Amino acid sequence: MRCALVGNQNSGKTTLFNLLTGMNQTVGNWPGVTIERKEGKIKGTDITIVDLPGIYSLSPYTAEEEVSRKFVLTQKPDLIINIIDATSIERSLYLTSQLLELNCKVIIALNMSDIMEAKGVHIDVEKLSAALHTTIVSISALKNTGIDALIDKISTGDVKENIHMPIYQEKVENCLTYIYQHHIDHDLSKFEVVKVFERDRAFSVLDDEHVNQAINEVEKDLDMDSEQIVASERYDFIEKIKKEAVVVDPKPESITDKIDRIVLNKYLAIPIFVLVMGLVYFLSVGVIGQLTSGLIDGFFNGMDSISIFGAEIPLSFIGLGPWLNDLIINAGGSLWAGSLIKDGVVGGVSAVLNFVPQLIVMFLFLSILETSGYMSRISFFLDRIFKKFGLSGKSLIPFIVGTGCSVPGIMTARTVENQDERDMTILLTPFVPCSAKLPIISLFCGAFFGTWSWLVAFSLYVFAVIIILLSALVIKALKFKSSDSSFISELPEYHRPSAKYVGRDVFDRTAAFLKRASTVILICSLIIWTLSSFTWTFKYVDGNDVLISQSMLAGVGNGLAWAFYPMLGGHYSWAASVSAIQGLVAKEQVISSLRVIAGVAGQEGTNIFSSPVLGFFNPVSAYAYLVFNLFSAPCVSAIGAMRAEYGSWKTTFKAIGFQVILAWILATIIGSIGGAVVGWGM
Amino acid sequence: MNNDILSSRLKRKKLHKGEEGHLSDLRPGQECVVLNFHNDNQALRRRLLDMGITKGVHIFIKKVAPLGDPIDIFLRGYELCLRRKDMAGIDIKVVA
Repeated sequence: MRCALVGNQNSGKTTLFNLLTGMNQTVGNWPGVTIERKEGKIKGTDITIVDLPGIYSLSPYTAEEEVSRKFVLTQKPDLIINIIDATSIERSLYLTSQLLELNCKVIIALNMSDIMEAKGVHIDVEKLSAALHTTIVSISALKNTGIDALIDKISTGDVKENIHMPIYQEKVENCLTYIYQHHIDHDLSKFEVVKVFERDRAFSVLDDEHVNQAINEVEKDLDMDSEQIVASERYDFIEKIKKEAVVVDPKPESITDKIDRIVLNKYLAIPIFVLVMGLVYFLSVGVIGQLTSGLIDGFFNGMDSISIFGAEIPLSFIGLGPWLNDLIINAGGSLWAGSLIKDGVVGGVSAVLNFVPQLIVMFLFLSILETSGYMSRISFFLDRIFKKFGLSGKSLIPFIVGTGCSVPGIMTARTVENQDERDMTILLTPFVPCSAKLPIISLFCGAFFGTWSWLVAFSLYVFAVIIILLSALVIKALKFKSSDSSFISELPEYHRPSAKYVGRDVFDRTAAFLKRASTVILICSLIIWTLSSFTWTFKYVDGNDVLISQSMLAGVGNGLAWAFYPMLGGHYSWAASVSAIQGLVAKEQVISSLRVIAGVAGQEGTNIFSSPVLGFFNPVSAYAYLVFNLFSAPCVSAIGAMRAEYGSWKTTFKAIGFQVILAWILATIIGSIGGAVVGWGM
Repeated sequence: MNNDILSSRLKRKKLHKGEEGHLSDLRPGQECVVLNFHNDNQALRRRLLDMGITKGVHIFIKKVAPLGDPIDIFLRGYELCLRRKDMAGIDIKVVA
């Protein structure tokens, strides 16, 4: 048996899906968290549940809503589980009124029944069930109540037959009957009959003189076009039911309204937004980053002292890498074997592990932003600005999700209604510094900007925002004709973020990062170590007779170094060039590669910039190099996501070409102008 | 709706109780009843109908974004955000 889980956006579908199946899909508090259908089986049964993106109606408006409509109409599920938000019952029942016209059984899960009383909503479930002639189960997906009763009804099939109650006034019902009779050989469902009545273009094959005339008459009679008639009649029917079964107390000003008075205040909104985002980066990159990254790096690679907020505290530790190296050498192992472990394995992997604590803190804040409901406010108040740049306020959600990872960010762009705005959002989401770029930023900022590193890191985010808006403006001017876009969204109520879901979310994102470090990054580090430790004739780079500049990697890098010459302030650096290219594999691989190369080239202490091959970096070239890495083509996973959303390689390659060229120009400008000011080739 | 009509509709007129105008004219705290639609964008029109903006429905203007657009309205027991441009095609009568 296959059941479709259908409901409005942000009605708690995914939370219910997770409860029914025991799976862990991402939950958020903004409309449109679920963008693809997901399947799972009810625990201990053979019943498949399909979680679909939220919809308000079976007439889809955005790309992700089309997924739901297609599934419900063409896949013919055995049962539709219609989840309804008890606190906004009228709009929820509109969708229900459409679902009940399909030839399919419908069971209603009345969600949020735990908070509806507190919100002054009193629903007489018996009466509602009788008025709709549908089985209704009260549940709370958040508190996990009523779920067993729901599973029981689904598995035993104890669901009322769908009798297609007449909901329209007589004139309309008569016309619908006429349409059904007229096309009797097509055996249309009630839903399809209504679609023909609405003159839906999808049913234009059934256009017919007589039917048309019948519809015209009703339209003339009621002084509305048929589409308006259907929507009005549905809502009239719902209002009638609501009068019988629902009492809503007059609302005092809710907490959400009180918070919004401050958060959406004319003068405070933007300062609060900047403060919140600034705080996220100050606490993660600034406080936690400074406290932990030196310590973790010291553990792996050795230290004499650690610096905490500028103060040097002596703490001597040989480090895992050097210790293993000594162990191997003392046991009679060769020099290269020691270096393989110390520089290839420990050096490469630890380069990204240093950043795990600050990433955890950042993931935590992002998750809280997403689940609390603040993110919807940001897209609400920035829409005015974004609209001017050819973007939607909803583009902001992909951008903020993109600070975690571009892949889900790019996929979330589906919630943007207008295609031009959506394509642009997909193109620009990779410009947002993702969590894998954060280690690159932290490393360079920590090395060159000291205690101000968090501010420089934050400046890169601001820079990213400026570049996103400017690119959007240029593309809009070059490419788009008249844009007729809209912004239709709900402002969800603020929720206290659930510790369980936030914890889960942070865990999942951190686990994905660690998994990459232990697979892709490890393998790439070994390859980089091999290429940088041997010459083309497989002579080992020992630093005396054979120098790293003779290695295979230097050979490859020298072929690329001309492109990076201007941005590096007039330096040919095969090491920096070859590392930047590896950002394609995964962005954090850039610093892994730098660390491995620095190790092989003989750095002193833990500072990779003390290594002769990287010693030329100064604050200007560091900033320029960062800019190139931030804005050039994203990693292959993100490119794959772009391809999937665009549905075309051509568009994808155009987008990537744009990104690489823009990144190169920006970095070159910063590197050469900055270099000219500070002194070329300093 | 062509651009001239749209921009003339977007000029905000101050409406008092009992007067008729466009949904985009209203300020927070005002309430109106919907009289009619003028919307050429079929998909948008459909969507607004689906969201419950039908003839005769009462709409309360709740919040305005800090930069003046979009606007958060309250109808049928829930809140919806729309751009003023999309509200300009909805004729209303102020009731409070």
